[in-house]
Amino acid sequence: MIAFLAKRTVALVATVLLASFAVFLIPYATPGDPARKIIRSRVAGDAIDESAISSLTTELGLHDPLFVQFHRWLGRFLSGDMGLSYSSQTPVVEQVLPALGITLTLVVAALGVAVLVSLILGITSGLHEGRRTDRVITTVTQALIAIPEYWLAPMLVLIFAVKLTLLPSAGWVSGASLVLPVAVLAARPSSYFTSAVRSGMIEALDAEHVTAARSRGLSYPRTIMRHVIPNGLLPLATLLAVWFAGLLGGSVIVEVIFSIPGMGRLLYDAVLNNDIPVAQGSVVLVVALAVAITTMADLVHRTLNPLLGDNRA
Amino acid sequence: MLKRPLATRAAVWVLVVIVAAVALAPWFGLRDPAEPNLGMRFSSPSPAFWLGTDHLGRDTLSRLLDGGRFSLSIAAVATVLTGLVGTAIGVLSARRGGWVDEFFTRTNDVLLALPEMVIALFIVAAAGPGTHSLLLALTVTGWTPFARLARTLTYEISGQGFLKAARVVGCSPQFIIFRHILPHLSGPLIGQATLRFGQLLISVGALSYLGLGVQPPQSDWGAMLAAAQPHAERAPLAILVPGLAIFIVALCVTLIGQRITELAGNRAITAPRTKEAHA
Repeated sequence: MIAFLAKRTVALVATVLLASFAVFLIPYATPGDPARKIIRSRVAGDAIDESAISSLTTELGLHDPLFVQFHRWLGRFLSGDMGLSYSSQTPVVEQVLPALGITLTLVVAALGVAVLVSLILGITSGLHEGRRTDRVITTVTQALIAIPEYWLAPMLVLIFAVKLTLLPSAGWVSGASLVLPVAVLAARPSSYFTSAVRSGMIEALDAEHVTAARSRGLSYPRTIMRHVIPNGLLPLATLLAVWFAGLLGGSVIVEVIFSIPGMGRLLYDAVLNNDIPVAQGSVVLVVALAVAITTMADLVHRTLNPLLGDNRA
Repeated sequence: MLKRPLATRAAVWVLVVIVAAVALAPWFGLRDPAEPNLGMRFSSPSPAFWLGTDHLGRDTLSRLLDGGRFSLSIAAVATVLTGLVGTAIGVLSARRGGWVDEFFTRTNDVLLALPEMVIALFIVAAAGPGTHSLLLALTVTGWTPFARLARTLTYEISGQGFLKAARVVGCSPQFIIFRHILPHLSGPLIGQATLRFGQLLISVGALSYLGLGVQPPQSDWGAMLAAAQPHAERAPLAILVPGLAIFIVALCVTLIGQRITELAGNRAITAPRTKEAHA
């Protein structure tokens, strides 16, 4: 377990470092003078003349080798100094952190809804395997996978916001503005989770200890509650982590459609406006978060399944 | 149940009709999809405009068929690219083992943990929007399922008698890969490719919807949706139709892919293994 933990931590740090390096390279890899772009992210003010540029280039150490510059950039980044946004001229960190909170709310709410839906549908469907209830649930959830979010969202807006005027069509003001974005974001994971719970249930129902429990005289509902459902839910743990990362990305489109000032929208606007410092800050944060969650899920998964040998680490 | 052969057959026919309509659209004598007709804005469906018009008076039907050409072909190219790259990496990992395997497995884990859309945005940010960066982004993020599948299947058959025999007889590694391994992988990989096509079609639309993929004046289903959205209330068909097209194609392809995977699983993988068990 210790060896596994060590290996995972190294992998985590290496991934985040690699991603940060790639992100650090953006001003150098994109067209234009890298020094100018970096100075813009360090010094507020639009009009900087040539002499200021050359003195700032020396002052900021932009003649140093790339790795020295990376080391300095990373150090500043870790201490919370992510530079200034090109468009607003304010520190990136002040934009990124509130946005991250909003996106996390959105993602956690969507995952919660997806888990709830999949528990209800998956357990029902697993217990009625092959019967009509199961067929209907399976068909509907499979169809959900094929629905694009950027279509579902405007359609829901058209129905619930424009025609029925029940819910706000966009923005981030009250609890009601959460409903449609969360519904759209939860659709696809609900579908995957439901089929995972369903097959987990079917497998668990088949297990010998279930037959044993029944033959010992344990009632059917008790057997289900105690022996089938807990085992049937195991696959959900791993899926949750994968989808956490997936939804961090998936929230881009939902945030854009519903004008939610979260991380996805921030990153999207940064890309469109060529706001390099904001893009750098948000990519590194999202990547670090996604990798950390996945690593944690691996740990949980291993604690739940002690049978997994260390060779699979 | 969706997996029934009847549903699969229906899916094949629907797909054939859509692909044929999209491919043959230039010979249908439809209106120019890009031609605005400000006198005919927001028309309802009529004999002249079967699916009505959008906010610029453009014919929704011709835009749908024209946009489908981009959506379907880009998704198809992306499927082939990710399939080739992923299969090559998967087979190589399994055959070479050692650090090659370790490296690609790690990369795979990392990509699985990273949000696809964020990587795609990053690539588009670095390379600029357009079809090329769209394909690049989809390939970088999309090869992993193929690699995982190819690696597992290659491992599975690597222990079998006929591969040992081939090596003993003196076949070269290339010969073994192309004549013995790849034919065994083809069924499941084609199934996987079919399933992935549906997801890639949705991703292509997503990036185009965000304005990062196909650039105007060209338009695909995603871009069409994005253009129609501000006017959803007055021209609901212009937004309903392209999304429905993506949904139907993705659904059909998923049904077909599941069926292929089922059949391939029974023939290519299970059959040799049971034979082995009896021998």
